[in-house]
Amino acid sequence: MARAQPNAPKDSDATPGGLHALGAAVVSVSQVVGAMGLLASRIFSRLAKLDLDRDELVRNLYRMGFQSMPIVIVTALFTGGIMVVQAAPLVNRLGAHGLMGWAAGFGTLREIAPLLTALMINGRVGANNTAELGTMVVTEQVDAMRVLAIDPIAFLVAPRFVAITVTLFISTVFADVLALVGAALMGDALLGVSPATFYNGLTGGLLGVGDVTSGMLKSILFGALIGLSSCQFGLGVEGGAPGVGRAVNATVVASAAGVFVIDYFVSFTL
Amino acid sequence: MVNTPSTDAAPRALPSFAASVGATSLEFLSTAKELLSLLVRTLYYSFRGRREPGAVVRSMFEIGNRSLFFLTVVMGFIGMIMVYQAGTQTMRVLPDLSLLGATYLELLIRDFAASIGALMLATRVGAGIAAEVGSMVVTEQVDALRMCAADPVDYLIKPRFLASVVMMTVLGIWSALVAYLTGMLTAYAWFDVSPLTFSNLILVDPVDLGTGLAKCIAYGAAIPIVSGHAGLATFGGSEGVGTATTRAVVNSSLAVIILNLAISATSFLAFG
Repeated sequence: MARAQPNAPKDSDATPGGLHALGAAVVSVSQVVGAMGLLASRIFSRLAKLDLDRDELVRNLYRMGFQSMPIVIVTALFTGGIMVVQAAPLVNRLGAHGLMGWAAGFGTLREIAPLLTALMINGRVGANNTAELGTMVVTEQVDAMRVLAIDPIAFLVAPRFVAITVTLFISTVFADVLALVGAALMGDALLGVSPATFYNGLTGGLLGVGDVTSGMLKSILFGALIGLSSCQFGLGVEGGAPGVGRAVNATVVASAAGVFVIDYFVSFTL
Repeated sequence: MVNTPSTDAAPRALPSFAASVGATSLEFLSTAKELLSLLVRTLYYSFRGRREPGAVVRSMFEIGNRSLFFLTVVMGFIGMIMVYQAGTQTMRVLPDLSLLGATYLELLIRDFAASIGALMLATRVGAGIAAEVGSMVVTEQVDALRMCAADPVDYLIKPRFLASVVMMTVLGIWSALVAYLTGMLTAYAWFDVSPLTFSNLILVDPVDLGTGLAKCIAYGAAIPIVSGHAGLATFGGSEGVGTATTRAVVNSSLAVIILNLAISATSFLAFG
C-alpha cells in the first residue's frame, strides 16, 4: 500500500504515485473540513450571542450583495436562454411546446439557477473575501486586533459569513426570476413559444412549491459553505503575498467542489 | 467587465441609472477590444513566435493533469444529480425511461460536459493564470521581459493558450465520460434502467459532436485569454493580485456562459 516515496522535497514536477496522491488528498480534505467545522462552531457561538459588528455587516452586504448584482443578472438571463436552446431539439422532436415552461422551470429552479449563482458568487465574493482576510493575516492586522482585545471572529469573520449567506440567498431569488424571463424570451425568439404558453407550462401544476424551496434551501447551504471556506482559507494564510494567491486559488476550487457535493446530497434527500 | 473596484465601500450616493449603464457599456466595449487584440497577438505568436522548449508541456501539466482530480469529483456528482433529477421529473409526466440514457448522452455531449467542465476550469485555471501573471507584473518581472525585447504575450500567454486549448478538449471528453458513467450507475440504482438500455447512441449525431468539440476549443481559447488579460492588467501590489484573480474567475466564467449561448444558438439555427 505505502509505495516508497522518496523524502526529497516535493517540487512541482514530481508526480507522486496514484495511491499516495489519493491518500494525501483524503487527508487534506479531512483537514479542511475539520477546520471549517471548528470555525463554524465559533461563528455560531458569536451569532447566538448576537455578538457581531453591525457596521461591518452592512458594509459587507453592500459590497458583496449589491455590487454583485450585475453579474448575477447577466448570468441568469444567459443561463435561462441556454436552458431553452438545449431543450429546443427535444421539444421540437416531441412537439411538446406546452411543456417547455415546465422543462425550463424545473431545471432552472431546482438546479441551474442556484448552482450557477453560487459559482459566480464564489468566484467574485469568495475569492475576494479570502484575499482580503489573507492580506490582513499576512500584514498582522488580525494579530493587532487580538492585542487590542477585539475578537476577530465577531468583528471580521461572523459579519462576512452572514453577508455571504444572505447575498447568495437573495441573488438566487433574483436569478430564479431572471433565468425564467431569459428562458421565456429565448423560447419566443427561437421556437415561437409565446410567453403566455411558457407561463402556462410553468404554472400548469407540474411544478410545485417544493421545486422552489429546494433551490432556496440549496442556496442557503451553498452560501454557508462559501462563507466558511473563504474565511477559513483566508485566516489560514501562511507565507506572505504568494501565500495569499495560493489561498485564493485553493478556496475557489474547494468551494466549487463543495457546492457540487452539497448539491448532490440535497438533491437526493429532497 | 462588470467589476467595480471594491476597496472602499461606504454606501455612496448611487450614480444615475443612465450614467451607470453608459459607463458599463463603454467599459465592456474597451475590454472586448483589448481581449480581441490579445487574442490576435497570441494567435500570431502561436505561429511565428519563438519556441521555448518545454513551456507548453509544463503548462499542459499544470492546466490538465492538476485539474483531473477536481474535475472528476465535480463531474461525477453532476452526472448523478442530473440523471436523478431528469428521472424523477420524467416519471411525473410519462413513466417511460427507455430514452433517458440517449437523451442524457446527447445533452452531455452537446453541452453539459464541455460547459460545466469549462466553468470548473475557469475557476481553477483562470485563478491560477491570473495570480501567476499578476504577481509577475507586480514584481516587475513583466517589465523586465519587455526590457529584454521579449513580448510577455509570447512568453507568458502563448504557452498557456496552446496548452489550454488542447487540455480543455481532452478534459471535455473525460468529463463526458465520467458524468456518463456515474449517470449510468444512478439510473441503474434508482430507476432500474439497465446499463444496456442506458447506453443508447441513437440520438447522438455528428452535429452534437461538432457542437461539443467547438465549445471545448472556444472555452479553451477564451479562458487563458480572459484571465491573462486580467493578470497583465494588475496594478497595486499584492492586493491588486487578489483583485485580478477575482476578475479573472468572474470574467472567464461569464465568457464561458456567453460563448455557450452563442455556439448553442448558432448550431441550433444552422443545423436544427
